[in-house]
Amino acid sequence: MMTMMPASEPTAAAVGDEDPSLSKRVADRYLKREVLGEGTYGVVFKAIDTKTGQTVAIKKIRLGKYKEGVNFTALREIKLLKELKDPNIIELIDAFPHKGNLHLVFEFMESDLEAVIRDRNIVLSPSDIKSYLQMTLKGLSYCHKKWVLHRDMKPNNLLIAADGQLKLADFGLARIFGSPDRKFTHQVFARWYRAPELLFGTKQYGAGVDVWAAGCIFAELLLRRPFLQGSSDIDQLGKIFAAFGTPKPSQWPDMVYLPDYVEYQYVPAPPLRSLFPMASDDALDLLSKMFTYDPKARISVQQALEHRYFSSVPAPTKPSLLPRPPRKGDSLNHRPSEFNSQEGPLVLSPPRKLRRVTVHHEGLEGHVYQQDKADEHMGEERHGETTGQSGNMPMSIDLGAVFGSRPIPRPTLNSADRSHLKRKLDLDAEFEYPQ
Amino acid sequence: MAANFWTSSHCKLLLDPDKVDVVPLLDKEKGLTQEEFRLIKIHMTFYILKLAQQVKVRQRVIATAVTYFRRVYTRYVGISWKSMTEYDPRLVAPTCLYLASKAEESTVQARLLVFYIKKMCSDEKYRFEIKDILEMEMKLLEALDYYLVVYHPYRPLLQLLQDAGMGDLTQVAWGLVNDTYKMDLILIYPPYMIALACIYIAVVLKEKETTAWFEELRVDMNVVSLILEHLSECLIFLYESGYFLNLKLLYLRGDLQVKNIAIEILDFYDYFNLAGGDPQKGIPEERINPALAKLVTKA
Repeated sequence: MMTMMPASEPTAAAVGDEDPSLSKRVADRYLKREVLGEGTYGVVFKAIDTKTGQTVAIKKIRLGKYKEGVNFTALREIKLLKELKDPNIIELIDAFPHKGNLHLVFEFMESDLEAVIRDRNIVLSPSDIKSYLQMTLKGLSYCHKKWVLHRDMKPNNLLIAADGQLKLADFGLARIFGSPDRKFTHQVFARWYRAPELLFGTKQYGAGVDVWAAGCIFAELLLRRPFLQGSSDIDQLGKIFAAFGTPKPSQWPDMVYLPDYVEYQYVPAPPLRSLFPMASDDALDLLSKMFTYDPKARISVQQALEHRYFSSVPAPTKPSLLPRPPRKGDSLNHRPSEFNSQEGPLVLSPPRKLRRVTVHHEGLEGHVYQQDKADEHMGEERHGETTGQSGNMPMSIDLGAVFGSRPIPRPTLNSADRSHLKRKLDLDAEFEYPQ
Repeated sequence: MAANFWTSSHCKLLLDPDKVDVVPLLDKEKGLTQEEFRLIKIHMTFYILKLAQQVKVRQRVIATAVTYFRRVYTRYVGISWKSMTEYDPRLVAPTCLYLASKAEESTVQARLLVFYIKKMCSDEKYRFEIKDILEMEMKLLEALDYYLVVYHPYRPLLQLLQDAGMGDLTQVAWGLVNDTYKMDLILIYPPYMIALACIYIAVVLKEKETTAWFEELRVDMNVVSLILEHLSECLIFLYESGYFLNLKLLYLRGDLQVKNIAIEILDFYDYFNLAGGDPQKGIPEERINPALAKLVTKA
């Protein structure tokens, strides 16, 4: 609402704190549309910004239960997104209090990379894959330049705008990693995207963890399924070792000193080519560098962007030409009665835990509690509603559920992780708690 | 300043010296003088500090809280200017500490703050409930336009001292940096310059022979500043690529400015003594209370 850089936003000085009609403000500037989903810390709804004509997603942040004011995760996201302005990072357009709740206004995003990967009607050419990966790495590179670790890279946090640009979203786990000796929690990332050093319990890590996760996303684009689908942390390491061979201390000297290090039975690495039969040599070379065991030797995001994979043919597809899930008919009327007149796959009430979270295509939701929230709040009808409701609504529903070939559920942070996370992350190691 | 200061909101929000320390209009109408305004800010800085010592937070959290506090009453383009009349400094100060503790990832519970405030202050006017702090938190976020990332001189200070092999000055210089938060310097100058000014003073205080080091920096700087005049991008590039090795070259770009900041700091000590300030207790109550009394408007 108020900005210190008036040129950048049309709203500057339009509303002061003395504005008596804050309650009208949503109505004044933002025309509220349908609810998009229920997130970690509140409801997300779609709205039209009357000042710019832009479609936006407004996240209403519920106040914390325990009399702790503005939700910590939300605050972290605000703090970082105010510093991060890049074409490949979701834009926080505005923030304002309304009826005691903080509201965050984001650009509206049509879809996410997970929906793209899962949509069997979409063919991803090598150029398309290159383009999606390049945008992912560009966004990430910007974060790392600003010393921000994302810590929750996964396809459903990579949102896709109407113009095809991919943008990193969900900075609820992100952190500034400036100080070299600071200790962090290792309970970050959804398990399938967790780097081996995190699985071995390291407290001091750097940009390499995001690179590993980006490598997993690259692999997922190539395979069209999550690459390393561990069912537990131990199993996750097993899956990693099965793919790349058990690391030898010579490959990764610091490994044996990590807090949760245990010796694994030696398995040799199969040829990488056998795992990715369709990938080009350059793609395989980049993949192997992103999956380097020793985080110190792992390629940086900037180096990855300079890798010859990106300069060799075929050139990356222009974002606007990328294949995306079908955009549903542009209905002018957003009345809920239109739900079922929309075409699109019928959602067969995915059972608990298997459902992808609440169809929030803008994907702004925090991931930490997502799964449970989905379970708590989203009944079947509700799910069906949200899917059919919006003209612009992308279809990032669980297609596996629809077509019966259900992949195993994507773990977000599980509940055991969560209690740990609450302790460790919010009250991090540097936290000096009195009493 | 490990993170990238040059492209941060903090850097963009730096103001010219004449734009800070201006009495908000509403307070001026109440008869609050420039002097009183300044004293209240010093007093509240002490208050935040004392409260922080009770709840035990890192220096960084304190510094961020004070920065928030000072920003609230400073005029920024595009943000409505807050007065002490509307935003009671006795509530804003603890709320700044509360918000800063969250923003710096070392949360302090609101109920603890309330508990310690009650323990520390017998004066009813300082006492607030949890809900007051939480309500003010939201207003504070708005007043800060949601810009929460603040850089401080502490890290560059340690890097520079190490670089110069003057580790023995750490304590003195660190204390000087702490004292700069009783002024508005953090709203005006890049943190590394404040750090340099503090080193400069520490050097003088300790009568260290460091002309060579400063001289070396100056020479480096003359070369670099020539380039920089034309290429501000280069500055960012240097900063990003080599952190402190190259950064050292940039430090004395404001060589003269550093000396001016140092003088400003020394002036502040004189001013503080004249105002009857005590390094431990702060400004005496008999000077603060009449000033605060002017602001009272019972809603």
